Amino acid sequence: MIKTVKIKRIIGECAGVKTISFKLGNNIIPKPGQFVMIWVPGVDEIPMSISDYDESGNWSITVKDVGECTNALLNLNVGDFIGIRGPLGTHFKIPPKSSKYIFLIGGGIGMAPLKFLSLQLKESGFTFQIIEGVKNKDELIYLDELLNIKNQNSEFFCSTDDGTYGQKGLATELFEEKISEIKLEDMKNTIVYTCGPEIMIYHLFQLCKKYGIQLFASLERIMRCGCGLCGLCTIDPVGILVCKDGPIFNLEQLNEMDDFGKYKRDFTGKKINI
Amino acid sequence: MLEVNISGLNLKSPFILASGILGVSFSSMKKLMDAGFGAITTKSIGPKPRIGYKNPSIIEIFPGTFLNSVGLGNPGIDYFISEIKEIKANNIPLIVSVFGDTNELYLEVALKAQEAGADAIEINISCPHAEVSSIGINKDLTFDLTKLLKEKLSIPLFVKLNPNVTDICEIALAAQEGGADAVIAINTLAAMLIDINTMRPILSHGSGGLSGRAIHPIAVKKVYDLYKILNIPIIGCGGISNWEDAVEFFLAGATSLQIGTSLYQGFDIVKKINKGIREYLELNNFKNISEIKGISHEFKTQKVPDF
Repeated sequence: MIKTVKIKRIIGECAGVKTISFKLGNNIIPKPGQFVMIWVPGVDEIPMSISDYDESGNWSITVKDVGECTNALLNLNVGDFIGIRGPLGTHFKIPPKSSKYIFLIGGGIGMAPLKFLSLQLKESGFTFQIIEGVKNKDELIYLDELLNIKNQNSEFFCSTDDGTYGQKGLATELFEEKISEIKLEDMKNTIVYTCGPEIMIYHLFQLCKKYGIQLFASLERIMRCGCGLCGLCTIDPVGILVCKDGPIFNLEQLNEMDDFGKYKRDFTGKKINI
Repeated sequence: MLEVNISGLNLKSPFILASGILGVSFSSMKKLMDAGFGAITTKSIGPKPRIGYKNPSIIEIFPGTFLNSVGLGNPGIDYFISEIKEIKANNIPLIVSVFGDTNELYLEVALKAQEAGADAIEINISCPHAEVSSIGINKDLTFDLTKLLKEKLSIPLFVKLNPNVTDICEIALAAQEGGADAVIAINTLAAMLIDINTMRPILSHGSGGLSGRAIHPIAVKKVYDLYKILNIPIIGCGGISNWEDAVEFFLAGATSLQIGTSLYQGFDIVKKINKGIREYLELNNFKNISEIKGISHEFKTQKVPDF
């Protein structure tokens, strides 16, 4: 079912990135990691991670200008209508209480579902470490909110490719440094949640596999239906559907996917390189 | 108990994946076969890669009822040949749905699919949101296309009927006369949805085809009518979401059935339907699904009275 709602609030996060909020009510409560199909009337409909939800039923998405539809979305104003289908897909599972180290690792706009997760983890009393990796400081998002989290026992680190903020280098390199401080017997009680470019997720996957760390990653594919019918988001050779079996997958599932880190399908259904 | 023979194809279950649903990758087809399908129909494949319409292109409009206008997005037959070969290497009974801009292009795609190992060809002349529906609304065009393909193909040929016509029977008879080995009834029903807030059609193409729960009774009626006039088997299709829906189709006269939309509930739905039908047959002392075919026709229905 598609529902059109008015945009209630727009917040600029950084150049070319905005958080758009709308009131959808609280009959259905979205969970961190789930997504919605966002229809920009007259333009297109695309999957977007939910980046926030509050008890009065306000939902948020964080949009980066990456194509025609996101561009059109960023040009909308408060009061304009957008169409929503969702929440769709699986969500990040809350970590077990036995978890010793919890990492939330986001690459660029991939921070969106992790920000939502961080709010929930904070509310549930977990302490965790956030790593946000971007190209340069102008691309940093949610800085104020994440710095605020830092003041409450959890930690927040940044990496920039050019070293203009935080540590110079990749988020994966920063993570590797962090885990070098973890004792071997604590690795199995370490848990990583991630979203971002698939190449980054793939590197994290290799690290987590090597050290026996639990991993939950959000994958992205082209989709039409968002509910298991069109088949465009099928991952070979296991026939897993990102829209319905995902978008959140654990290490064991990722391990079975030959396509992971390599291929996706375009709108014709043809496999193309990621 | 559920084995059927449809135009020479021996299927372990009478359920066939309907075209347009998940039919692009071998990996999902394999999972669907494991869930209890007897055969798979691919997404409609054309001569060239085609992107299809923009989103929204598939949306649920009531619970279990969907509206779509994908616009025949597909990777093109030349790319798809490798997928067909992989499917056949795994012994999955495969029906390739084909379309083209001209009869000759339909034939070209069908021949390539046959060459690659397809077990049967389904011709799509009925997709309500693409140009091919113009064939399916005309009995002469349907006859010509069917005849051309039948003459050149050595594998069974199925024709998927367009329900958006005044008289589906005359089109079905034309397909039969042209040599079709079976017909599929029905494709989606032309429909649209308008958003009252933005006051515009929601699908990017404006309108599309309705599938799922809402069309089941309409499809049953079409199968019932076709059973009275056709000699070739009917593959029922439209809104099957539980075993009872499936039984109705068999009682109306279907030999085999296609399931598509209800897979949004997950692949287990196919397992449940197979199980439900088996129990129904056992309970009523039937040994094979073919024994209930068309039984509802044995009951007299009231004729139009003299007023």
